[in-house]
Amino acid sequence: MTQTVLEIKGLKKWFPITGGLLGRTRGYVKAVDGVDLEIKEGETYGLVGESGSGKTTVGRCILRLIEPTAGEIIYRGQDITKLKGDAFRRVRRKFGIVFQDPYASLDPRQTIKGALTEPMKYHKILESEEEAVEKAKDLIKRVGLNEDHLYRFPHEFSGGQRQRIAVARALTTDPDLVILDEPTSFLDVSVQAQILNLLSDLQKEFNLTYLFISHNLSVIEHMSNRVGVMYLGAMMEAADKEIIYRRPEHPYTHALISALPIPNPALTHERVILSGDIPSPVNIPSGCRFRTRCPYATDHCKEKEPPLEARQPGHLVSCHYELKLSAPIPLAETSRKT
Amino acid sequence: MNFHTYAGEVKALDGVTFLVKKGEALGLVGESGCGKSVTALTIVGLLPENASVAEGEIMLEGQNLLTITHDQMRKVRATKIAMVFQDPTTFLNPVLTIGEQLEEVFLLDPERLAREAAHRNIEIGKEEPGRGAAVHKLPKSQQKKVAKALSLDVLNQVRLPDGERILKQYPHELSGGMRQRCMIAMALARNPDLFIADEITTALDVTIQAQILELLRELKRQLSGSTLLITHDLGVVAELCDRVAVMYAGNIVELAEVKELFANPLHPYTQGLMRAIPMIDRKLERLETIPGSVPDLIYPPSGCRFHPRCPFAFEKCKLEKPELLHVEKGHTVACHLYGEGKA
Repeated sequence: MTQTVLEIKGLKKWFPITGGLLGRTRGYVKAVDGVDLEIKEGETYGLVGESGSGKTTVGRCILRLIEPTAGEIIYRGQDITKLKGDAFRRVRRKFGIVFQDPYASLDPRQTIKGALTEPMKYHKILESEEEAVEKAKDLIKRVGLNEDHLYRFPHEFSGGQRQRIAVARALTTDPDLVILDEPTSFLDVSVQAQILNLLSDLQKEFNLTYLFISHNLSVIEHMSNRVGVMYLGAMMEAADKEIIYRRPEHPYTHALISALPIPNPALTHERVILSGDIPSPVNIPSGCRFRTRCPYATDHCKEKEPPLEARQPGHLVSCHYELKLSAPIPLAETSRKT
Repeated sequence: MNFHTYAGEVKALDGVTFLVKKGEALGLVGESGCGKSVTALTIVGLLPENASVAEGEIMLEGQNLLTITHDQMRKVRATKIAMVFQDPTTFLNPVLTIGEQLEEVFLLDPERLAREAAHRNIEIGKEEPGRGAAVHKLPKSQQKKVAKALSLDVLNQVRLPDGERILKQYPHELSGGMRQRCMIAMALARNPDLFIADEITTALDVTIQAQILELLRELKRQLSGSTLLITHDLGVVAELCDRVAVMYAGNIVELAEVKELFANPLHPYTQGLMRAIPMIDRKLERLETIPGSVPDLIYPPSGCRFHPRCPFAFEKCKLEKPELLHVEKGHTVACHLYGEGKA
């Protein structure tokens, strides 16, 4: 049985909206509003959702780059939300993160060597400067760059190369879990493929567990073993990749996947087009938060929020009804020649 | 439509030649920096000041858009070509209501307003200007009324419910998808011959993108004009276009009917691009990659601009720029691999 690396229970992050003379709290942006998820060792867990669904906030809460409002984050059996100081520092070195924008995530005044050795020094992983530099040299080669690149500054690199550096930096502390927050959304497709392959290779080589956050359904499908679908701060459905993409049971997942333009003009299929826009996370609809756009919503959905329940082992759905939904994308009987 | 051009010192476009047929949707695909947006901006005459067109021609129904005066170009933009951009927030004026911006499009054409007024039997006051050809101009207050009616129609056409309210709203009060619909409404208001859509769904979420794509499909059926759809997303191309031109580093490398291109990509770049995208309907352990990155267009590679990244490159590719070559019916490719009976 594979071990659980990270478990999140009832995670909430509400950002207060303050205003007026006294700066009173007038409401909350409920960015994450009760999320549960479980990541197993060695897998890639894909977290997918549209903008404003709270997927990035979940990633940042895990690292406690922002403090969660409520909920537990359990890393290998230990709740890390209450840890302080050195105790937390020891845990955090087990986490790596790669951010979306490689132009913003590297300090323009620091050489690549600095960017790679600083985390090692901070976490006191290696004793001497020489050792740290040796390790930086090793890592920079593993991500497909070379030693000379260590002595350059970020502006000398292209977007794809910067993202390689960001990946190397995430690995400096020998992490267990790496959070990849939209790592390829700034990149062109030909470069994106290089980075995705690199991430797959490194995962095998260093035995890493990934939390892969993206809005790009095709990328998530390619990279993940299991997928969680978020909408407006809550998990709608979570299951193995094949189930999410072939036999989803939540109407949102179904619509989301069927909405994806497929680069194959030979395939035509019925699309579910959701009406309306994503509601504001300040005023989340009562009951089921998806009901305002759901084609199957009833009065019952207005009153009660459906819990995220296991329909089969490992397949969690948050919906009152057991809907019979068609396959969201045409199954490739005639598999494409490549 | 034909043009060979390049902008500034950056040789952004180099001998781009294509033709948009009446009523068709042509897709222009490529990665960032390949010149697809520059192509569009050249067509509408909105290149920044540091850009210059060295040579070439853009023919719109027999008129060369590169040689006409600014005023004539304005006229063309007002009546024949319409363009919608990626980010609707930047292109809507934040201090005017949607109504003011949309009605303006109609108010620029008083003759049409008069025709429409007669056609719709809209009450035009006491002056009683008669009918048909006699009507040339309406009084200002009447013009506004007709413009509003037309605006409501066009909002309806882009499936924006509650048009009355939207006309009174400011852009910031609308969501991204609604703003993009308003942009499309403005573009369609004059019933253009050529509708240029530059990455119009890129900034939108998947479910909203699906709504806009559905709308474009519907409009394509209704309208007689042609569409030039610029995107980096091959999925969007597959869904909407009749023909596709693939661009790389300022060149068109391949042009074909959409089904033909996806079934039988000929250019090594097109092939690489298709293998590099994760697709839901196929199982792949690894994505194939195109090594390297897009070249610097200030010093573009000699010969074929793709040769430094091409797995099949040979001596000739470094020396000689391949011309677009007709391989099969309606399928052209710019690659030395297909020259001289090798096809």
